[in-house]
Amino acid sequence: MKKKFKRNVKKNYQRNLTKLNLFQVSKFQFKKKCPLSEKNAPKIDYKNVKLLKKYMSENGKILPSRITSVSQNKQRKLSLSIKRARILALV
Amino acid sequence: MSLYEHTIIAKQSHSADQLESLKTKYSKIIEKNDGEIIKIDDWGLLNLSHEINKNKKGNYIHFKLKGNGLTVSELEKNEKIDKNLLRFLTVKVKKFDLDKDYFKQENNSNE
Repeated sequence: MKKKFKRNVKKNYQRNLTKLNLFQVSKFQFKKKCPLSEKNAPKIDYKNVKLLKKYMSENGKILPSRITSVSQNKQRKLSLSIKRARILALV
Repeated sequence: MSLYEHTIIAKQSHSADQLESLKTKYSKIIEKNDGEIIKIDDWGLLNLSHEINKNKKGNYIHFKLKGNGLTVSELEKNEKIDKNLLRFLTVKVKKFDLDKDYFKQENNSNE
């Protein structure tokens, strides 16, 4: 009985692989653009408390960029300026 | 010569005269060590987001200065000993944004 079950799992796995194409670009899935890299975007600064609080949780943690869709470059600058604001007890 | 932003937090109990004397004391130290003060901002009394040495509020003073490494190290050396201060922070910047005052707007809206 056990052997039969194992075979079935393998077959199903292979079937799924053929269905999903790794390099396929899905047309219906859209990615949000980084809100801090647009034109006229606000400058990231440790003094700008209002902006920093947008990208923090209620407990004062920094939100991950996969939730806020901030670009990697801006996320680095954001986390640095949040840490600076923490030293001055602004955030 | 490079540009620095320097912020200090003084204790809540200080009067206006004492804050003035703190300002002049540190601006003298900066000028002695071949630094140059471009602007001094008074952010006023602000609530601290977390307590620092059992203090809930603090007087913020913000310096924008031009100087070298010696200026900053001498300034921080004096501030470490000072018991009137809670915290200080120095940040090296490429450019000063002199038009924006993030803390002045807040004060106006509260009034």
